Amino acid sequence: MNCPSRESPNPFPALPAEPARETRVEGQAVPFSRRIRRIPGTILGAIPLLLLGGIVLTLVLSSGGQDFGLSFFGVDWNPSTAEPQDAVFGILTYVAGSVVTALPALVFALLLSLALAITLVVYVPVRWGVLLASFVDLLAGIPSVVYGIWGFWIVAPFFGTTLVPLLSRGVPASWGVCQSPASSGVGIPLAVFVLTLMIIPLTTLLLRDALRAVPRPLVEAGYALGATRWEVLRRIQIPYIRRAIGSAVLLGFGRAVGETVAVFMVIGDATVLPRNLCGLAYTMPGALVGQLDSAFIQPNYLHALVEMALVLFAITLAVNLLGRRYFPSTPGRRGATPVPPVGRGGP
Amino acid sequence: MNPTLLEGAAAPKSTAVPDPVITVEDLGVTAGSQILLRGVNVRVPDRALSAVIGPSGCGKTTFLRCLNRMVELTPELRRTGSVRYRGEDIYAPDIDPARVRRRIGMVFQRSTVFPTSIFENVAFGLRLEPDATMDIGARVEASLRRAGLWSEIRDDLDRPALSLSGGQQQRLCIARALAVEPRVLLLDEPTSSLDPVGTRKVEEMLSALRNEIAIVLVSHNIAQAARISDRTLFFYEGRLIEEGPTPQLFESPRERLTEEYITGRFG
Amino acid sequence: MSEESLRAKSGRSARRRAWDRWMGRLLPFSFAIAILPILDMIYWIGARALPTLTWTTLTTDPTGLSGGLYGPLVGTLDILALSTAISTVLGVAGAAWVAEFAGPRWADVCRTGANLLAGVPSIVVGYFGYFALVLYFGWGPSLLSGSVTLAIFLVPYIFRATDLAISGIPRDLREAALGLGASRGQYLTRVGLPVALPRILNSILLAASIGIGETAPLLYTAFFNNYPPTGLTSKTGYLTGLIWNYYDEPAHFGTEVTLAFQAAFLLLLIVIGLNVLVRVVSRRYERRLRGLFA
Repeated sequence: MNCPSRESPNPFPALPAEPARETRVEGQAVPFSRRIRRIPGTILGAIPLLLLGGIVLTLVLSSGGQDFGLSFFGVDWNPSTAEPQDAVFGILTYVAGSVVTALPALVFALLLSLALAITLVVYVPVRWGVLLASFVDLLAGIPSVVYGIWGFWIVAPFFGTTLVPLLSRGVPASWGVCQSPASSGVGIPLAVFVLTLMIIPLTTLLLRDALRAVPRPLVEAGYALGATRWEVLRRIQIPYIRRAIGSAVLLGFGRAVGETVAVFMVIGDATVLPRNLCGLAYTMPGALVGQLDSAFIQPNYLHALVEMALVLFAITLAVNLLGRRYFPSTPGRRGATPVPPVGRGGP
Repeated sequence: MNPTLLEGAAAPKSTAVPDPVITVEDLGVTAGSQILLRGVNVRVPDRALSAVIGPSGCGKTTFLRCLNRMVELTPELRRTGSVRYRGEDIYAPDIDPARVRRRIGMVFQRSTVFPTSIFENVAFGLRLEPDATMDIGARVEASLRRAGLWSEIRDDLDRPALSLSGGQQQRLCIARALAVEPRVLLLDEPTSSLDPVGTRKVEEMLSALRNEIAIVLVSHNIAQAARISDRTLFFYEGRLIEEGPTPQLFESPRERLTEEYITGRFG
Repeated sequence: MSEESLRAKSGRSARRRAWDRWMGRLLPFSFAIAILPILDMIYWIGARALPTLTWTTLTTDPTGLSGGLYGPLVGTLDILALSTAISTVLGVAGAAWVAEFAGPRWADVCRTGANLLAGVPSIVVGYFGYFALVLYFGWGPSLLSGSVTLAIFLVPYIFRATDLAISGIPRDLREAALGLGASRGQYLTRVGLPVALPRILNSILLAASIGIGETAPLLYTAFFNNYPPTGLTSKTGYLTGLIWNYYDEPAHFGTEVTLAFQAAFLLLLIVIGLNVLVRVVSRRYERRLRGLFA
């Protein structure tokens, strides 16, 4: 006897016989009509994915498939608009600029934010700790341009007249690493300074939450064994938050590399290999934002910029994926700035 | 049988403890307006196991934590009275709390093994004051033996401590506390989360240990207290109601409250 | 065994205590290093902005040399409204679907997509906006292009927060609704979203706060304009763009730099205000739903 299979689609979709609820039973094939109805939802859910794909596609298309060959990874960047065919586009200068600002800033920011997080959790009375944490949270939302304009007008003079000459005097000239540049004060030191300040709020809150999550019994066991407060910190709490520290490193790196505007405003945008660490430089995102308008009319210039954008994108994507593999994401805290993901440089 | 204690009256002087390792005088603890402990006077004998019993929330744990200055880790608590270790007031301003805690060690209710290897757990306290002359390996082994754990884990000390069973973890915590060679060991319900086998092993270990050091054991389990302790202290609502040699307290308690608790009339 | 006194004057333990004491002083000092510069920033921005900040400044358009902030201010608000609206619709709808209807593997794919999108640098999003919207779609530099680009930048924040909020609803509540005969869609609209609303609102405010401070996604999609936008197709000015354009003008020409500082000041105010708002909303939420999650 042929019992109607439960799997056969209802031939009369208009009838209420088809249940409005979409109870899915394991193992049952999904009827076609239901599959169709699920398409809009599926697309909705995939919106971020589609956008991502759109970005990649657009960039790839816009690069005109132009192959610059090995010179793309070289040092000379010369759009030389006089003879467009002779233009050379080597992005290494910009990559170096990014590295030279991001790495020191990352190191400083991590040390400081770890110290800050420890202070907030261990050395500060609870009620103050919450207040101060809210304040740090606030800092995370300050726009990039604000840091930039402050850096350019208020801090740069100090750097130019006092700090950098001091630095360059301190560093032996034979290293050739730090010759005092223009006294305007902009350059790598200032960029590192501003970038450090921008990274700190993000990583601090991540580390603070991690520290607070260390189980209290473990901490007390440490004290009970006669350890001092610092020893409990060093031997129990900090090792416990190893993963969070790794997350913070990746997060900070992403921010440092992707930060566009503030760094551009204080670094002096000079396409020069950053051999003079106290001098001017140029980062990848900086070049992307600062030179696009010059490139509108010159196709190969445009393509070069787009390809550099792809390189930047690839780097942050790689760091992101690495991060998710080794350090599963921390869910956003309620009511506070969700931890911005790696790569979300700055406004 | 004496009538119920009058409010504020001190507990009657206990059967003399000849050479107390810890002397508590008029100890009180408050948290804001709430009184957790009051008027506690006790002398803890050396080389003996003293059990602290009483219904939950009556201050047993607070009392224990006063004995090694762990109570200071909770800022809302205020303490009055004195606690002396061999005559020295442990709360005096020039006393280092870390030192106190090395002398008077503590084991907690739930196992608090660190997420490292067995060896590193036990060695933790030793590494705090590194001493070139000290053979850490030997000390670790000695502590594990005293805790009765050596035979079970001797094959691989580098195993993660968290891979041990609950009972073994708890004994590991005891070994860890013993490694710094304290003169007093405080235990807060150490077997409450263990199965009968684990419990028995811990009790055996404590019985053997009591000949060497002073032990103060908080227990929610009256039968356990009766089993293994030399002296018993009964707390109720923040006050020390009665204390004395265990056989005497259990067979002929002086206070009616004590008798009611022991016979299970309330818990 | 000789008893060492509890009074620790002995060498080893004195060193430990010294370490403890020094770290106890050094670590809180980090606060000064990290926070003082920020305070300096807030002070100076106020100092340079406030003296000449008047109502006129807020109601006049900037000219090339001086003027006020009106155009860019309106532009910022317009962009804010549009981009927040778009990103909210896309983010909430998508995340609600993922949280409730998606099968486990597809849900994972979608969530990864959101997280990866969240990691795209702002200038790269700006490039996408320029090439795709301004050029290929032919929208030209406009309010629309800028807002959509910014919306794309903001979607991941709202998406993730909505996803977490709806997924985080206690299972009992969901099963109670379904058990009463509600379809999954009905559960979402009548129970899920309402319960998750405070958190979603939170994330929208957050996204708005982030959006207000962004520059790179807008620079090449909305270009810049001194005057308020006349429609979706006109170029727009925005406060961050003003700062970007005016900040390095020589200080003795006109008042651009002062305008830039004033724009910065306004931005700070708005961002702080939004942040406070976020806090107030989340506290209300915690109070209201405490019983639910208890």
